[in-house]
Amino acid sequence: MAKQLIDTFARRLPDDIRTAVHDNSAAGTAARYRALGDDYDDYDSLRRLAGAIRQHSIENLDHYLAQAEESLVRNGAKVHFAVTAGDACRTVSDILQRAGVRSVVKSKSMVSEEIHLNAHLTAEGIESVETDLGEYIIQIDGDHPSHIVKPIIHKNRRDIARSFEREGLGDYNDDPAVITRRAREFLRGKYLAAGAGITGANFVVADSGRLVIVTNEGNSRFCLAAAPVHIAIVGIEKVIPSDADLAVLLNLLGRSATGQQLTVYTEFVSGPAPAECSSGPREMHVVFVDNRRTEVLASNCREILRCIRCGACLNVCPVYRQSSGHAYRSIYPGPVGAVLSPLLAGDKFKELADLPKASTLCGACHEVCPVDIPIPDLLLRLRDKAHREHIPSPGTPPMGGFAVMGSHPLVWRAAMNFGAAKDYVPMLDKLPIPYLGAWLKTRTLPPWRGGKFRAWMKSRADRKKEEHP
Amino acid sequence: MTAREKIFSALSAALDPLPERAPRPEVPHGVADAKWLASCPDVISLFSERLQEAGTACFESPEDLAAWMASQRPKQIFVPPEYDDLAATLSVAGGVTREYRRDRVNEIDATLTVAAGGIAESGSIVLTDKTSPDRLAALAPWIHVALVRRETVYRSIADALDALPDDPNIIWVTGPSKTADVEGILIQGVHGPGVQACLIC
Repeated sequence: MAKQLIDTFARRLPDDIRTAVHDNSAAGTAARYRALGDDYDDYDSLRRLAGAIRQHSIENLDHYLAQAEESLVRNGAKVHFAVTAGDACRTVSDILQRAGVRSVVKSKSMVSEEIHLNAHLTAEGIESVETDLGEYIIQIDGDHPSHIVKPIIHKNRRDIARSFEREGLGDYNDDPAVITRRAREFLRGKYLAAGAGITGANFVVADSGRLVIVTNEGNSRFCLAAAPVHIAIVGIEKVIPSDADLAVLLNLLGRSATGQQLTVYTEFVSGPAPAECSSGPREMHVVFVDNRRTEVLASNCREILRCIRCGACLNVCPVYRQSSGHAYRSIYPGPVGAVLSPLLAGDKFKELADLPKASTLCGACHEVCPVDIPIPDLLLRLRDKAHREHIPSPGTPPMGGFAVMGSHPLVWRAAMNFGAAKDYVPMLDKLPIPYLGAWLKTRTLPPWRGGKFRAWMKSRADRKKEEHP
Repeated sequence: MTAREKIFSALSAALDPLPERAPRPEVPHGVADAKWLASCPDVISLFSERLQEAGTACFESPEDLAAWMASQRPKQIFVPPEYDDLAATLSVAGGVTREYRRDRVNEIDATLTVAAGGIAESGSIVLTDKTSPDRLAALAPWIHVALVRRETVYRSIADALDALPDDPNIIWVTGPSKTADVEGILIQGVHGPGVQACLIC
């Protein structure tokens, strides 16, 4: 039977990886549930408030983006704008070349993955080292992250120990404490030698001009302590109105992502380091990246731009848990990725049009979303878009017969009356009807009850007539 | 057209057709406070409790801190220039240095920072450029001790946000540096301190 591409990927996934992804995501969901339950009685109204803050922010982005620019400039940062991924990469390498920088350290940033910054910098002869432990391992393995918050959720300690041994970071040792200490020692040298630190930002506050960056490892902090130039690459949708909004957003972000009230380091960066500071960047650049976000804003799926990248929807999603992040073939996996990736793909929408179909629409992603994004609705809108654009959908049962039944009452009535015959067909699952066998392999059909509704409705109408003539 | 003009004209094209734009919601102060916060009368004892839950040891006397520091066996402790009394007290625990240099990053394994404040609700230490101007000294050593004055401890995250100082680099530190990237196993001390303490004075 024909398959959607994501199914093919999911089927090829080795059992140990499936188990690792499943167990680690499930643990993430449990931690989130505990953290929110311990601290809030009415978490739902809080996430609706967070959703309203973000919806207001993106629907007034023309105002807030201009305000953020003005505030950042006032604080001493240089602000750049980039329309495409290529523009963004060139903006960064131009800044580096002007400053004479040959090596940079990078803290985790989804938008930098989106624009393939590392490949660009390498091609320009600039060394770029990822400093988040997981991202560093991804980099030395030439791999791709499979989770927004836990990039190496698909790797085990033996894989990592082998990679470290190959890279000359000591003999094989798969103790996570040893792996972490070796990375600490190695990356320290990189921080101190780097000419610039590149970070993302979780939020940009429009009125105060602060970038908010959250990490647990402290790597973005190290980039901003050791390197003389700071470049922050930020999607334009990250802007929020004021510091007070952070009280809601920060409180939900850590708990939703990792079950922490706050991540270890919450940094508010509003400009270059002052002269009296003995370390820290003297030069700060902020690159605002569009890369089709304005197209998403113009579409009927603009709610996805509320996303604060916590990864809670990945952790809870039964499809993500079974297929892992690589099956989504894009930077953003899981439910958020199933919406965002096809939209950001532009004219390559077709290649990712299977992602919105990889959902049972169970609604768990919407339920856990700290900014209340109605992901199942958005998936349906994208399915509709694919249908309107006549994109073939392998594996979808032919619905023509059902359409005839559904639009011809007589045919429908006949089908309902004769449907009971299926109760007397032995071994229904062996019939050569496409899709039926596969469906029945794991399910038992209940006895036929069709056709009774009309009779019930009719007798009810008759009774009513008798009671109230 | 510049990139800036292109982005702003695309924003107008996307947003102008909306019949109305989502209004700005009211965010009541303290709306996201943890539910148990209201029933904690004493800010300092809550701060101390939350610090320890986040993995930061907590002391109220310099002598207790010095005894703890001795148990960590540091080689070199950096104490900022103006804190002579503390330097003397801590010298029982290990060598004390009054100058932090970039080329000694791996020698100096303990550091004292002067915090701009604390947050009781989350057990966070607030660092700024103004109060701890050497960013590297505050982050690189394995052992980090922060000095927090009791009158600078905010009750909640929302209170701390309302009073964010005018400083280019404000950092809320909640526990030691950590990762769970390898198989979800928690390891402390990735890039920043692996051990952390706070002296409330």
